[in-house]
Amino acid sequence: MSNFRIFAPLAIVMYIIVPFLFSGNDYLMGMIATALIIAGIALAWALLGNLGGMVSFGHAAFFGVGAYTSAVLTMDYNVPVFLAMIIAGFGASLASVFMMPALRLHGPYFALAILAYAHIFMILATEMTSITGGAAGLLSIPNLPVFMGFDFGTKLGGYIVILNIVSLALVVYHLIRRSTYGLALKAMHDSELATRIVGVPATQLKAIMLVVSAFITGCVGAFNAHFINFLDPEYAFSGEWTVIPIVAAIFGGYRTLSGPVLGALFIYLADQLVFKSLLPQGHQLILGALLGGMILLSPSGLLPIITNMFKRFSKKGDAQHVES
Amino acid sequence: MLKVKNLSLNFGGVKALQNVSFEVREQEVLGLVGPNGAGKTTSFNVFSGNVRPTSGEVTYDGHDILKSSMHKRVKFGIGRTFQIPQPMHELTVRENLMVSQRFGRPDKKVDQQRISEILDSVNLLHKSESDAATELALTERKALEVAKALATEPSLLMLDEVLAGLETTGKKLFMETLKKIRKQFNLSMIVIEHDIETISNLCDRIVVLNFGKVIAEGTPDETFRNPEVIRSYTGEENA
Amino acid sequence: MLELTLQAIYTGLLSGGFYALVAVGLALIFGTMKVINLAHGELVLLAAYVAYATESKLGLNPLLALPIAMAVVVSAALLTYFLTNHIKKDRELNSLILTFGLGIILTNSLLMVFSANIYSTSTEWFFEGVVIGDTLFSMRSELLAFVVGVLSLGGLYWWLNHTWHGRAIRAVSSNLDAAKLMGMNPKQAEMWSWGVAGILATLAGCMLYTTSVIHPPIGHGLTIKAFIITVLAGMGSIPGVLVGAFLIAIIESLTATFFQSSLSELASMGIFLVVLIVLPSGLFGNKRIH
Repeated sequence: MSNFRIFAPLAIVMYIIVPFLFSGNDYLMGMIATALIIAGIALAWALLGNLGGMVSFGHAAFFGVGAYTSAVLTMDYNVPVFLAMIIAGFGASLASVFMMPALRLHGPYFALAILAYAHIFMILATEMTSITGGAAGLLSIPNLPVFMGFDFGTKLGGYIVILNIVSLALVVYHLIRRSTYGLALKAMHDSELATRIVGVPATQLKAIMLVVSAFITGCVGAFNAHFINFLDPEYAFSGEWTVIPIVAAIFGGYRTLSGPVLGALFIYLADQLVFKSLLPQGHQLILGALLGGMILLSPSGLLPIITNMFKRFSKKGDAQHVES
Repeated sequence: MLKVKNLSLNFGGVKALQNVSFEVREQEVLGLVGPNGAGKTTSFNVFSGNVRPTSGEVTYDGHDILKSSMHKRVKFGIGRTFQIPQPMHELTVRENLMVSQRFGRPDKKVDQQRISEILDSVNLLHKSESDAATELALTERKALEVAKALATEPSLLMLDEVLAGLETTGKKLFMETLKKIRKQFNLSMIVIEHDIETISNLCDRIVVLNFGKVIAEGTPDETFRNPEVIRSYTGEENA
Repeated sequence: MLELTLQAIYTGLLSGGFYALVAVGLALIFGTMKVINLAHGELVLLAAYVAYATESKLGLNPLLALPIAMAVVVSAALLTYFLTNHIKKDRELNSLILTFGLGIILTNSLLMVFSANIYSTSTEWFFEGVVIGDTLFSMRSELLAFVVGVLSLGGLYWWLNHTWHGRAIRAVSSNLDAAKLMGMNPKQAEMWSWGVAGILATLAGCMLYTTSVIHPPIGHGLTIKAFIITVLAGMGSIPGVLVGAFLIAIIESLTATFFQSSLSELASMGIFLVVLIVLPSGLFGNKRIH
């Protein structure tokens, strides 16, 4: 119910109003599309955190692997772009399979093992020069194609594509959360023992969440490669692809469906339009401060606070009605 | 059904179980008794898969269960409860049982009617939609613990001090419930309990553990007359 | 070949002493509070920048920066402690995100104040060569960092075992509830461990500045290295930190000598993951990872 109340207006704004208002402004469309890229990663991160109970500092690895998979497939093997983007998701999932031994580790150990993995993937991308072009990078990665008469290679086209990817990810997240898998995962948070003892294969469920999260992040990474047509390891595996989505998810509330998306739109646009002009160098300082502040003041995010305020507000309103 | 043979478990230098052997028969309620630290809960942990034994054999309906993971054993039909109830937080009572059915039943079927039946049998039906963590009293949490295990459709139910901490009337009512579900669901049970009266009332047979060893076995009446059992209970030197 | 190998091991050994100094503060705090301070590397870097400022602005030897750097870094460490203490629930994970955020703040503050330029010491004394046994070569600063590292770890070990504050920290880290029952104030022990970690980070930072180059993003890398060594050591073990640091540094140095320097980090990461997965309690750990 509350999901519908948030997502129906959000869908109208994103699918109709934004393209209608800004489709002429490539700079702005590009920026909003990038905000959606962050939203996609933030959603994947939150899925792993909320359902799997795992904090990851290594989503940049999935992003980078996805980006390179798609770029190499389209450039060297002439795979159609959209198909390559889906395969890129599987590529990132494969990368996550290599991380599975880390699932034996709990809490902070998992988080940091993933960080180490991400580092390894970046070094590998730099070293495997024959495939990835090494530190020099890959130039002229193919654009998004013309499909059914519409040119997705434009900023507007790219925006539509990433918007659809994020929407699909939301649907997948929602379906998992609603299923009995979702219930079991939710229950695992507080006591894994409680779920294991009724037969839940806890580690396998977590592994599935890791694979799904990696898949989404990989597709988003692939999209980005075709959207900006350039890759180098420093950029594709940059810590920023981890940091900004984490801030966004925590800020918006990583336990909710809409929190990471709204958080990403807000954080990224604020960072680009406001923080950067306030502090041309070191604008991420504000992101760090937001992250720390949220953890101390409201670890479940800003969105739950706002909804609570609304509830209280409307309750007060009701009470006044009764009185008058 | 459950056959335990020469089971031993060492924690570092501590011998938690030493050559323990016993058997649970079809549709029997077996009491596992003994003073604190005798190895009762440890035995449960070995059967359910929380702990790996040092040596020995445990079979269930012919399966060597020690090789199976915790969630596989549930599907063999072994259900258990914990001394401290482990409700699945953030889920409603009904959702707790849904998860049990989906992951614990061999056929993985979620059957709402069956859930209602189980909840009714432990007097929790009126609490189906309550939040498991915050809205249940102690007795209800214990009942949920039993219901969660029942929803996996076990043939053997292991109850770890489900009556502990309840006051006298609550205890009596809960014991009647246990007797009822035993019949209703055709269960074998292993029951860990301290209270001798409860044991005598509920169990067909008992096994007494002390310092990780089986010191007596038999019907409640004859066992509680055994001098060694009395000594271990009254806490005299056990030379 | 033999000479090259020996030189590689020697270089690794020296940087191992420095790595140990970087890692031990992280290990100490983890031991007492089960908190991994992801801003630890940034604290080290902060000290290095104070050393740089002392040298470039005041024209002093960077080692004279120690008292000021200590004041700055210990205050920053204590501030981190107080913030960590204000986490309401699930401290183990939330402290990770909090200190991650603090690390971002520190890195970007350094970026704002000192720009993204790369700096290194201009005091020539530090990079004059020292030759041992006719063949083994190092810079003075590397030898100094090694000596400071090993002495600091020795000092810390002595402090933990022979002073009351140290014993209190050990008591709190081994059994918090028992320590409370014995009338200890765990907060005090925790504060001491953060303070001491700050001092160790300061020493590490000054050594960093004299042996190497600094620029804002490397703090994060230092944290990762410190964490890797702490895990190798078995979380919270001080002698383990020294051995883990030597292991990592020597492997890196051998990889750089016989393969490429760009692969050295890959080698140490690989070792880390293998140990983490095969021996989750580390090389010297007796505490279980829960």
